[in-house]
Amino acid sequence: MLRFIAGRLIVVIAVAITLSFITFFLLNYAIDPAQAVAGEEALFEEIEQVRIQYGFDRPILERYFEWASGVMRGNFGESYYWNKSVYLLVLERAPETITLALMSVSVTIIIAIPLGILAALNPNTIIDRFALGIAVAAQAVPNFWLGLLMIILFALTFPIFPVSGDKTYFHFVLPAIVLGASSVPPVMRLMRTGLLDVVDSDYIRTARSNGFYGWNLTINHSMRNAVLPVVSVLAVQLGHKFGGSVITESVFAINGLGRLALESILGTDIPTVQILVFIFAFMFLIFNLFADILNAYLDPRLRK
Amino acid sequence: MRIFKIFILTILLFSFSPFQAFADKSDDTLVIAFSREITNLDYHYGTKTEYLILGDMIDDSLFYVENENLTYAPSLASDFNVVDDVTLDVNLRQGVKFHDGSEMTSDDVVYTYNFIVTNEKNRRHKKLVSWLKSIEKTGKYSVRFNLNSPYANLFNDLYRIKIRKNGIMGTDGNWDDNAQATSLNGLGPYKVVSFDPGVEVVLERNENYFGGPKGNPAIKNLIIRSIPDMGTQQAELMSGGIHWMYNVKKDVGEAMAKTGKADYQIGPSLRIGFLVLDAGGYSGEGNPITKLDVRRAMNHAINRESIAKNLIGGPAKAIHTACNPVVFGCFQDVMKYDYNPEKAKSLLASAGYPNGFDLDLWSYRDKEAAQAMADDLGKVGIKINLRHGKLAGLNKARKERQIRAYFGTWGSSASPDTATISNIHWRDPNKGDRNLSGDPKVNELMLGAEQTLDIDERKKLYAEGLKLIAEQAYWVPLWSYSEGVLSSKDINFKQDADGYPRIWNITWN
Repeated sequence: MLRFIAGRLIVVIAVAITLSFITFFLLNYAIDPAQAVAGEEALFEEIEQVRIQYGFDRPILERYFEWASGVMRGNFGESYYWNKSVYLLVLERAPETITLALMSVSVTIIIAIPLGILAALNPNTIIDRFALGIAVAAQAVPNFWLGLLMIILFALTFPIFPVSGDKTYFHFVLPAIVLGASSVPPVMRLMRTGLLDVVDSDYIRTARSNGFYGWNLTINHSMRNAVLPVVSVLAVQLGHKFGGSVITESVFAINGLGRLALESILGTDIPTVQILVFIFAFMFLIFNLFADILNAYLDPRLRK
Repeated sequence: MRIFKIFILTILLFSFSPFQAFADKSDDTLVIAFSREITNLDYHYGTKTEYLILGDMIDDSLFYVENENLTYAPSLASDFNVVDDVTLDVNLRQGVKFHDGSEMTSDDVVYTYNFIVTNEKNRRHKKLVSWLKSIEKTGKYSVRFNLNSPYANLFNDLYRIKIRKNGIMGTDGNWDDNAQATSLNGLGPYKVVSFDPGVEVVLERNENYFGGPKGNPAIKNLIIRSIPDMGTQQAELMSGGIHWMYNVKKDVGEAMAKTGKADYQIGPSLRIGFLVLDAGGYSGEGNPITKLDVRRAMNHAINRESIAKNLIGGPAKAIHTACNPVVFGCFQDVMKYDYNPEKAKSLLASAGYPNGFDLDLWSYRDKEAAQAMADDLGKVGIKINLRHGKLAGLNKARKERQIRAYFGTWGSSASPDTATISNIHWRDPNKGDRNLSGDPKVNELMLGAEQTLDIDERKKLYAEGLKLIAEQAYWVPLWSYSEGVLSSKDINFKQDADGYPRIWNITWN
């Protein structure tokens, strides 16, 4: 098991390094960093002054290694746009994104698990089709559209929730529904398939023959095995939520990492965009790693 | 039934929850929204219009652009005297107080200007040192500006510099650029109560404000929220969460007004749109745009009247000059190119392109308008590959001399003088990358008009320069823009002639 984890960790680190280099290279190639710092109305001399002052005249590899060694020491650099340390910016904005990510995964669980159970207990019936229909619709609808629809419905027509902002937990309800909805289909399908497999297994038949039935059988015997792969998928979905909140946070004016990413892109703030892309990808990799380890723990065949 | 009761109770609980209590007329609190965020309170470190609007609310300067006839009026200055072409004496208002209660004197004015002159990191530094030789205190309430050379746009710069309290930004050699970034001791009609960068700024009326040309604000509390999505801003306006938003497109604004819950105004703006053409051949060999007939053909090919009317809307109008017709020095008697596709085709043929040519047109805003222009140019044979993207990408490509034509716009930030647009766009090509004319005469005339205080001489130079630009078709001047504003029925907001929103003039209905 330890060898498996070490192998996966090496892959994660290699992907993270490759990704950080590609991000660094693309950002510095697509935008002139000196122009970005000097601003739209800067003169030629001002841009060149900035280029020397900030060291943008040095080779890109040299700058990359300086940046990477800084990140490893916890120094994320200074934001040109926000005039403060990128580390502090991330620290300030992360709680909102973590809250949103956790709440949206909760929404996914609340909707997807019962739907999956219902569909599995009533395979190929109207209930099954209805559950699948809801799941497919949730995945097909774009976040920004669903967000505006939720605002119109639950903030304007029925003023139950606030339109935007992040001052209270109530402010996170609509965005969590929007973000959580997109993860419903994979979780719901997995729950349904897992439960159908378990329901047909020998030990459940034995349990039935011993007099167990209904919710007791479903919850206490079938669910325990069927839910295990769902947990690992939820871990991956949590990773998705960190990077996938850019649009949702902007629509609902939540001051998290996703909105910071959008604002920094619009403000051509290369150091912040760089670190955010890295963080989003790294979180995704870490949650994937967690899911792999969980799967390997549950199924020894995967360790080979 | 039990579940149903719980559902109803939950709805009622949420319906009466504290966040439904909006700031409004009852607590004298106006809430406005910007889609671009404010990250720094100090106007000297920002270039966006939002910073200027905020700066005018919390800061003050020696002069101010008066909204009635768009001229510079003394603000912190009580009066002034132009001693000669390079000397300006300014008397200060007495009894003006900073937000901390201390009185403003000439020491603060001298300190502010010297801070910018000696601090290379300050965004206003380069501009200021280009004309300011020195500033001296001539009395407790008077200062003298000594200029390097005559500078016509002087009052615009005196408007842009916000006065800081003596010592607040540190001392020479030890300047603190962030001293006023998150809390600000200004002189403006509003005081900063709290600031959450990128989220909101909470302001309170400065009860000791001296009035001046801005006047005293009617509303006591003001909250500026950063809401990036325009759809969310509209929803906030409809729900009473905000009272005012701007940069609203015509179709959206009119649809919102039809609901009866908001007022929509679309007024003029100082912003203009234009195509910059690489007449100087900076983008390399084989560039058809270096030929005068091709540039003239492009001017004839675009139906700017139709695009201005149908896509920009409101008071937007086609223009024929490289400046907004309403600002000082924007001479209008220049060569005009009517919409005439047939003439465009014949000009292209006479230039040696009877079948047209392929052209990359770069753009960064108003994609629909850019596409409409591409269609118009396509009809006369110029097959456009529209490269619509971010401004940063366009800037980089222009700097690297890859651009043959781009769709630019310029807002002039409430400055009613041709100098503001010409200073950037007709510079010596060695000092900027926007002047693609390759014609030193344009630079000489357009920037020469900034080097004299003689109004008639300035007008003459601008007239010659603008005539030359039009005759040689160095640009395709397109249209003046309009500014759309949505406001709640609770407030009274009047748009000014320059489209610049003077928020402090808003009153309750």
